Amino acid sequence: MWFRRLLAFFALLVPLVLLAIAAFLVFYAWPAIHYNGLDFLWRDTWNIGNQYANPVQRHGETVMPGAQFGILFLVAGTLGSALIALLFAFPLGLGAALFLSEAVPHRFGHFVSFFVELLAGIPSVVFGLWGIVFLIPFLSHHVFPILARIFHFIPFLARPIGSGYGLLTSSLVLCLMIVPFITATLRDALRSQSTEMREAGISLGATRFEVATRILLPGQKTALAGATMLAFGRALGETMAVLMVSGNALNYLPHNVYSPISTMAAFIVAQLDSALADPTGMAVRSLAEIAVLLLVISLITNGIARFLIGMLKEHTL
Amino acid sequence: MSKLRIHSLVRSPTLAALALAGLCALWPAPSQARTIHLIETGSTLLYPLFNLWVPTYTATHPGIRITTEATGSGTGIAQATANLVQLGASDAYLSPALQHLHPGLLNIPLAISSQMINYNLPGLNNRPLHLSGPVLAAIYAGQIRYWNAPAIRALNPDLPLPHHLILPIHRSDGSGDTFIFTQYLSFSTPAWMKSTGYGTTVSWPSVRGEIGATGNPGMVQALATNPYAIAYIGVSYRSAILKEHLGQAWLKNRAGQFVFLTHANVEAAVASRAPHTPPNQSISLVFAPGANAYPIINYEYVIVKNHQASRHVARAVREFLDWAIAPSGGNAPTFLNRVGFAPLPKLAVLQSQRQIAEIH
Repeated sequence: MWFRRLLAFFALLVPLVLLAIAAFLVFYAWPAIHYNGLDFLWRDTWNIGNQYANPVQRHGETVMPGAQFGILFLVAGTLGSALIALLFAFPLGLGAALFLSEAVPHRFGHFVSFFVELLAGIPSVVFGLWGIVFLIPFLSHHVFPILARIFHFIPFLARPIGSGYGLLTSSLVLCLMIVPFITATLRDALRSQSTEMREAGISLGATRFEVATRILLPGQKTALAGATMLAFGRALGETMAVLMVSGNALNYLPHNVYSPISTMAAFIVAQLDSALADPTGMAVRSLAEIAVLLLVISLITNGIARFLIGMLKEHTL
Repeated sequence: MSKLRIHSLVRSPTLAALALAGLCALWPAPSQARTIHLIETGSTLLYPLFNLWVPTYTATHPGIRITTEATGSGTGIAQATANLVQLGASDAYLSPALQHLHPGLLNIPLAISSQMINYNLPGLNNRPLHLSGPVLAAIYAGQIRYWNAPAIRALNPDLPLPHHLILPIHRSDGSGDTFIFTQYLSFSTPAWMKSTGYGTTVSWPSVRGEIGATGNPGMVQALATNPYAIAYIGVSYRSAILKEHLGQAWLKNRAGQFVFLTHANVEAAVASRAPHTPPNQSISLVFAPGANAYPIINYEYVIVKNHQASRHVARAVREFLDWAIAPSGGNAPTFLNRVGFAPLPKLAVLQSQRQIAEIH
C-alpha cells in the first residue's frame, strides 16, 4: 500500500511542479499584467522608466516615470525566427528521415541516426559560439551580399544586409537545432509502417521514391504535423544560441531578414540585470509576464504536438 | 545489455550508498570555524579588478575567503539588498528611490573608471576625430546619419570624412557603460535628456544601421567587424581597441575643449568634481567642469548593507574595503594600471572610510 502511495506521490510531483511554476509566475507577474494591459502585446516600446527619478502612481501601480512595457518586437522576432527555422528544417528533416528509413541498409541507418540524435544533445551555447565565430562572418561576407543581390526585387530579402547578427542567422542556427527532432520522430514513424506496404508498392512497379512519397508519407501526416509542432516549440523557447546571434534588437520590428531581432526567451536574459535595479519591481514583473506568455505558447504547441504524436501511436498499434 | 547493467547498478543499495559517500567526500570539508567567506557579485567592469585584488589580499589574510562573480551591476545591487552577498559591485550609484527603499544600503566608491568613444573609419582610425555630446546625441538619435554631415565636418575641418552611413552600436544588455554614456549625452544635450534620458538601459531611438551588442567584448567585436560604426567602450578594453587598430575620439568637455583620455585629463575631472561629493557619495562625475577635464568618468561602487549578518563578517568586510581603497593597498598603481582605472582622490578616500566605518 505504501509503495503505491509513494509512486502516486512521485507521479503527481511532476504535474504539480509545472502547476506551481505557472501559478507562481502568474501571481508574480500580476501587477505587470494589470499595469500593461493588452498594450503589452501591441506596443513596440520596452522602457523601464527613469530609474533616478521618484516613483509615480499610474493605473493603480507604483512605477518609475516613463515606464512602458510593450513586446510586439519580441513576439515578431520569436515567431519570425521560429517559422523561418521551420521552413528550412522541415524539408531537411523530412529528407533525412526518408533517407534513414528507406534509402540505406538498416545497420547504416542506425549508425547515421546515432549522429543525428547526437546533434540534438549539443548544448545550445556551443551552437551560439559556432554561430559567432564561424557562421556570422561567413554569412555577412559571402552569403548575404549575394542573396541580397539576387533577390533585390523582394523587399524582405533586399539590402541593407547589416552586420550578420539577425533574423536569418538566428533562424539558421535554430534550424540545425530542431532538425534532429523532426528526423527522429519521422524516422520512427516511417519504420513502424509494415514491410508489406513497401513490397506491395514495389511489386506494382513503383520506384522507391514513389513508394516513399505516395504510399508511406501520406499515412504519416499526423506524425509529420506532430514532429513539426515539437520542433516549433523547441525553436520558440531556445534562449542561449539566439541570444548570441540575434543582434538583440530593442524596440523595433525587423525590416528585412538580415536585421537584428530579439526573442522573448533571449530578452529575459539580456534585460534581467537592468530590471533588477528597478526599485518598484515592475520591470522584473514585466519580464515575468513575458515568461508567462512564453509558457502558455510552449504549452499549447507542445500540447498539440504530443496530442498528434499520441494519435499516431494509437493509429499504428 | 548495457541498459540492464545500469539498472542493476542503480538498484543495488550498497552501491548507491557507496556512491553517496563518494560524493560527500568530494564536498569540501568544513574549514576552520574562523574562516569567513565573503561573496562579491555584480559589475563586469569591476570584476577584473576584484580578481587582481582577491588573491593578493587573501594571501596575507588567511582567515578570509572571497568569491568573485561577474553578473552585472543590477544583480550586484539586488543581491546585496537581499543579503545574498556581502559585496555588490556597481558602475552606477544607487538611485534615490532605492536609497529611500533601503536606508541601510551604502554605495562606496572603490576606484575611478572612464569610457572611450571608439570608431571604425577605414583609413582614418589614426587621425584624431573630434566629437561632442550634442553630435553624439544626434548620431544616436538618428538625426545625423552620415559621417560627412555638416555638424561632424565643422568639428573636424581637416578630415576627409566619407559619405557613409554611421552605424551606432549600443549595449543591448543592462550596463553601467550605457549609464555614463547616456549621462554624457543628457548633461550636454537637453533634447536628449528630455527624449531619452539616462540609465543602465534606455529606450534607444530607432536608427537605421544600429547594432545592439552584449558586454564590452561584444562592443569591441561589433565595432571591429563593422566599418563606419561608432561605439562607447569601457577603458579596461583599451588594449583590445589598440589591437584591432580602431579609432578613439577626442571629446568636447564642459569647458568647450576637446580632450583625449589620459591620466592627467581624468585627474583634472576628478579634481574639479570630487570635492562636491556628498557624504553618501552618490554623485555623477560625468561632464565635469575644467579646461582639461575628460568628460566621461565615474566612480566604481561597492554596494554594502550597513548591517551585516554577524560582527565577524562586518569586520571582515570593513578590513577588506579599507585595504581596497588604500593608496598602498588595492588603489596602488600595480592593480589599477592593469585595468585602466584611476585611484580615488584623498577626499573620496576619507569619505569612503567614513562610510566603511558604518558597517556593523
